[in-house]
Amino acid sequence: MKDVANFKDYALLSYHHIQGVHNIDIFERAGGYETMKACFDKDPEAIKEEVKLSGLRGRGGAGFATGVKWGFFTKDRNAKKYLLCNADESEPGTFKDRYLVEKNPHILIEGMIISAWALGTQRGYIYIRGEFYQQAVMLENAIKEAYAKGYLGKNILGKGFDFELAVHRGAGAYICGEETALISSLEGKKGQPKLKPPFPAIKGYRGLPTMVNNVESLAAVPWIMKFGAAAYKQWGTEKSPGTKLFSISGDVNKPGVIEVPLSTTLKDIIEIHCGGMRNGNKLKGVIPGGSSSPILNAEEAYAVKMDYEDVASKGSMLGSGAIIVLDETRNMGEVLKWTLEFYHHESCGQCTPCREGTGWLDGVFKRRDTGKASKSDVALLDKIAASMRGQTICALADAAAMPTQGIIKSFRDELEQYVTTTTKK
Amino acid sequence: MSSTTEKFEFTAANMEKYKELLTRYDDVESALLPVLHLAQEQNGWLPPHVVNYISNLMNIPTIKIKEVISFYDMFYDVPVARNVVQVCTNISCSMFGGREIYQGLLKHFDTDYLTPSRDGRVSLQKMECLGACEIAPCMRVNNDFVGNITLASAIAKLEELP
Repeated sequence: MKDVANFKDYALLSYHHIQGVHNIDIFERAGGYETMKACFDKDPEAIKEEVKLSGLRGRGGAGFATGVKWGFFTKDRNAKKYLLCNADESEPGTFKDRYLVEKNPHILIEGMIISAWALGTQRGYIYIRGEFYQQAVMLENAIKEAYAKGYLGKNILGKGFDFELAVHRGAGAYICGEETALISSLEGKKGQPKLKPPFPAIKGYRGLPTMVNNVESLAAVPWIMKFGAAAYKQWGTEKSPGTKLFSISGDVNKPGVIEVPLSTTLKDIIEIHCGGMRNGNKLKGVIPGGSSSPILNAEEAYAVKMDYEDVASKGSMLGSGAIIVLDETRNMGEVLKWTLEFYHHESCGQCTPCREGTGWLDGVFKRRDTGKASKSDVALLDKIAASMRGQTICALADAAAMPTQGIIKSFRDELEQYVTTTTKK
Repeated sequence: MSSTTEKFEFTAANMEKYKELLTRYDDVESALLPVLHLAQEQNGWLPPHVVNYISNLMNIPTIKIKEVISFYDMFYDVPVARNVVQVCTNISCSMFGGREIYQGLLKHFDTDYLTPSRDGRVSLQKMECLGACEIAPCMRVNNDFVGNITLASAIAKLEELP
């Protein structure tokens, strides 16, 4: 078991216990790239169909079905088109993709080659956030190894299929995780989102059909193709099938990344997988899907199952699976202040409701610091947030507005108290 | 800050890297971010004469390059020290003192955002989520993550830098 993949318990971290698995030979000895080789004997349309049947949903945050997204792509295999892997991972609290690729870059590359064959893309890029320098180097080394084996480049394994793959480093901008902003950034421009439609699948990078998928989505493809869609659906629920990586941080004893079936309870994640609450403190709230997801109070958090539908039924979202656990010692006003400072800084500035709105939201807390905020500022926060939602090119405005309204809903009294208490330095 | 007489060109090795970078893309513009990373690695920051050099090399207007540099937090249009240290101040890191550590480091090195310390050793940059929340609070020292820091351990680490 030591040197072979554990496909039984994991679809994504199957190889993670194997020492040195970033090396292609060790990866292959453990079963890596076998699925890719088998897939070249399959009809590309059949691969697309299998991924669609698996019900895999985009793991970057939006949760849109990967197979359906692939269905929007042109079937003309000769048309010039691109496959982009979104490894920007900038949603605060998220570090799952980093954990996945820094130990096992080849699972992503294998997933990308299979996906490229299915989609008929001739070139691909892994867009990785600038901060992940060492991870970018690891991916580049892994890509070199795959080229040397003939798994990338011209006429792969004599199948008459060409696929060139490269790593593209970002340079520190949250918004580049949004797929159209990512495309702008890859084009050598400011990372500003573009109006959809046209969707990138139709008109994306350099105006050509472009498929953008998250690291975790692409890395799930080899497992799905090896064991089939039906086997993948043994995990999770009908609408949220499969396993998911969760990044857990905050007030737990063992923060880190876990892979568990979707619909695992948040209670089990905290108490079993993360060793319980730090210092034995009481739970106060949980940010379930990155900083843009509305906070759950303790009661909701202990009742929720971590799948797309159940988290939504509690008024929040599964997002990227970034769980931030907050205990009774935390002040929700402070958490919101940190959150809004971030969105204000990261707004790209194109759309007025976002550029001005994030500034006004953040401004309430700046005013607090000078002792000039009042209780009515909480109502103002709510009003600004409400007027930002659904008014902009991308979802950054919503990403700032949703947690604001979430904290107002669950912790209004505490927030009112916070904005009116100044700790002048 | 930078004088127009200053000269910049890629070293021979970096020129090779530049040429290799271009082969990765179907157009020259797409290579801009990696080329800026390369230039910054060589020069430390991206003053106007470096921008002019890249503009001529890639045939991209300087204004477009400056626009890109100003958009991204990791491209510097001001001089930075030999070592750039990014301290995370997002939720998980702030919960464990990331902000106090950043303020403490500024005080210790008697500097402010990005301004090189007097000995030219350290530039401090307050950063948003660095994607390493399991080791909160964390910082990046040049290209490496250092996690579970305290103000004292961060100072000790940075004092070791060349």
